[in-house]
Amino acid sequence: MKQKIMHFLFLSCLKATELIEKKFHFKLSFTEKIQLELHKMMCDACKTYEKQSGIIEEGIKGNHHLHHSKAVDSEQLKKQIQAKLQEAHK
Amino acid sequence: MSKNQENLSDWVDQFTAELYSWTFHKVSNAELAADLVQDTFLAAVEKLDSFKGDSSPKTWLFSILNHKIIDHYRKKVNQPVNLKNDSFSNFFDTGGDWQENRKPNHWDEADEKQLIDDDEFQQVLEKCMEALPEKWSACVKLKYLTEKNGDDICQELDITPSNFWQIVHRAKLQLRDCIEKNWYNI
Repeated sequence: MKQKIMHFLFLSCLKATELIEKKFHFKLSFTEKIQLELHKMMCDACKTYEKQSGIIEEGIKGNHHLHHSKAVDSEQLKKQIQAKLQEAHK
Repeated sequence: MSKNQENLSDWVDQFTAELYSWTFHKVSNAELAADLVQDTFLAAVEKLDSFKGDSSPKTWLFSILNHKIIDHYRKKVNQPVNLKNDSFSNFFDTGGDWQENRKPNHWDEADEKQLIDDDEFQQVLEKCMEALPEKWSACVKLKYLTEKNGDDICQELDITPSNFWQIVHRAKLQLRDCIEKNWYNI
């Protein structure tokens, strides 16, 4: 019973982490904002989750410098495309 | 050859490398990236007459390319995923509280910026992304494809906003857990 009342007022961790993800791309409603803030005040795990989720977001955005070594020969690709274009004109 | 067609041939020489590296970053697959760039130029031939030069050729080609990439992801997102109903129950108990052994631990993030720039951390992240169901990783990646907000992405993908952030929510829970296990060995 206590848990039910708590979740009604301050959200469950499941719901709180959902709102944390929602917040990255959508605006939260006023109620959602308050609920999430209250939840985080009491829940260290979700506060930690939010911080780490933010780090992962940044990480995915920055995840490009790894790939340069795997690039194909762009000269060859150019030739291939030029040939295809020639064909397309015929 | 018309003037426009000559232009297009020049553009292949000028922009192929750049278009390719952008695409490769987005799809992480060399063969697929090459195909998408090639398709872009083939589509450009068809549309050449409608190119009025209002934007630079480069911008024009990138906009065709981005549509191709989004199409690729849209197909993936629309593939049904074997969504285990209990995928949340790995992380939360029936009341919605964290499972004791899945609670986020503190990471020793002395410097977040440093962490994000760390090649090894990026490799762990990459590996963990690959471990996700394709549909989930497609949603996560697509967020960074364009600088669009959530509503626009949902429109592109033809899914509802709540569907979108629920997929991202599941993906993120898995990702975070995977990184914690593989990077911090907690």
